[in-house]
Amino acid sequence: MNPFWSNIFRGTGYEDSVAYFLSTIPIFEDLKPKELKLLEGMVHTRTYRPDEVIFHEGDIGSGMYCIRSGQVSIFNNDSAGRAVEQAQLGPGDFFGEVALTVQKPRIATARAVEPTVLLGLFRADLHEAINKYPAVTSKILLGLSRCISDRLQYAALKLHQFGSNSYPPADRE
Amino acid sequence: MGDHSGFSRAQTLMIYLVLTGSIASGIAIFSSASTITDLLKTATSGLFLPLLLSLIATFLLDPAVQFLEGERVSRTTSIFIIYFLILAVIALLLVLIGPPNWKGMLNALKADFPRYIARAIEYLNGLLIGLQGHFPFIENYDLPGKLSNTAQQFFGLLLKETPKSALRIGSLFLLVPLFSFFFLRDSKRIMRGLISLTPNRYFEMVLDLYDHVSWQLAHFIRGRILEASIIGIVVYLGLSLTDIRYAPILGIIAGVTNLLPYIGPIIGMIPGLIIALVDLGIGGQFWWIVCVYLLIAQILLDNFILIPILISRVSNLHPLWVILAIVMGGKLYGVIGMIIGVPIASVIKIALLEIRHYRQNLYRNQSLFLSRND
Repeated sequence: MNPFWSNIFRGTGYEDSVAYFLSTIPIFEDLKPKELKLLEGMVHTRTYRPDEVIFHEGDIGSGMYCIRSGQVSIFNNDSAGRAVEQAQLGPGDFFGEVALTVQKPRIATARAVEPTVLLGLFRADLHEAINKYPAVTSKILLGLSRCISDRLQYAALKLHQFGSNSYPPADRE
Repeated sequence: MGDHSGFSRAQTLMIYLVLTGSIASGIAIFSSASTITDLLKTATSGLFLPLLLSLIATFLLDPAVQFLEGERVSRTTSIFIIYFLILAVIALLLVLIGPPNWKGMLNALKADFPRYIARAIEYLNGLLIGLQGHFPFIENYDLPGKLSNTAQQFFGLLLKETPKSALRIGSLFLLVPLFSFFFLRDSKRIMRGLISLTPNRYFEMVLDLYDHVSWQLAHFIRGRILEASIIGIVVYLGLSLTDIRYAPILGIIAGVTNLLPYIGPIIGMIPGLIIALVDLGIGGQFWWIVCVYLLIAQILLDNFILIPILISRVSNLHPLWVILAIVMGGKLYGVIGMIIGVPIASVIKIALLEIRHYRQNLYRNQSLFLSRND
């Protein structure tokens, strides 16, 4: 197809907009288009070079990031100082969401693998929005707590499996 | 010659040329920079007061605007509603009380001012003669002469500036609402734009710090302005119980000078006391006025009620810093600089304290966290 023509007939590009991208993130899936517009005004767009560190393990976290484009590697340093990769995240994934609620140190380091664009939502902006847009903020917080409780349940299940594997039933008595 | 230093002739020449070129361009940049700052100074000279007043208005109105703003009411709409309400209140006051007779009051003050000064000097002279009996060396200091000199200079300035300032006040009425409208509407966006310029490594820290500091600052500035207005109103009310003239102007003076800690209230008292002394003489009313200034406004209201409620002790400055801030502010921007120098110094102190607090918190958390591996 001729690229000249294909460009004309493409729509207004809602699918390229930040608001649409945010609607694909599980935390924000409850928001209506108008509320997504308000959320769009709250997030910060940050650009990272390859190998640039987004945050270090032990830094005070102040918010979460969604990956708009690029790849992010999450890793810990073991006692010998080697990097142990925990996850490799791509576009549409998010990380660091625990820091949105409480001022705690980051539990892992995040580093951009390739040129990466992140959307950051930070505690300061969320706090300000609580009074201004209570409905939007409570939907965001509900989505956040859903994600965190999913993860907690998953972790509890894993722990349970792990526990029942390492201690055979016979030894428990 | 060239061989000793290890450079060929061409290289030496090159170094020489580069050095000369860089020095010349440095001088050129320096001189042009000073003209540019001169130009900037001239261009912005009249803007300082309107900008300051609109910043103050912004700080005062921001909570009201935020109160109205919501999911259905945009920020711009809520600013317009607030503006409309303020206009309505002013119009109502004008209708109920009638426009204040500022012009008549100013003209009367212009006529009375030399009289007050003359009487004050006379009184001071009498006091000095009495004192000279005890301390003869005072004769060497020409205090009354100095005072009358300054007073005359000030009076001349007042006469010269009044027509100009009438024009300026007219432009203030136009500029301040306009500026504060844009400050109210766009300050968040401007600050977001500025913060987004910080490098990725420090972005989160800067955002957090800005959040803390801006909250503290808004609280402090709002508290100071409220405190000054309440003191001004109380002084005005207290004075209007007596026969003293110019009670509104004296109230404004007391409120504005109250922004300066330690020295401000004393300076604010002086004009009121002089007028009371000249017009009313020493008597019951005079002592009541002293009482209003010192006991009611300063000790009871300010120290026991307003400062504990409105202003945290964190922003207290050491007296030395207060004096330095007043002197430096006066050097930079004259009388306005003297008044806002101290609040600006407190603002800097609050920002520094917040940053230190944040860093301490950071290191404590990090050390706790990193010891987890051991």
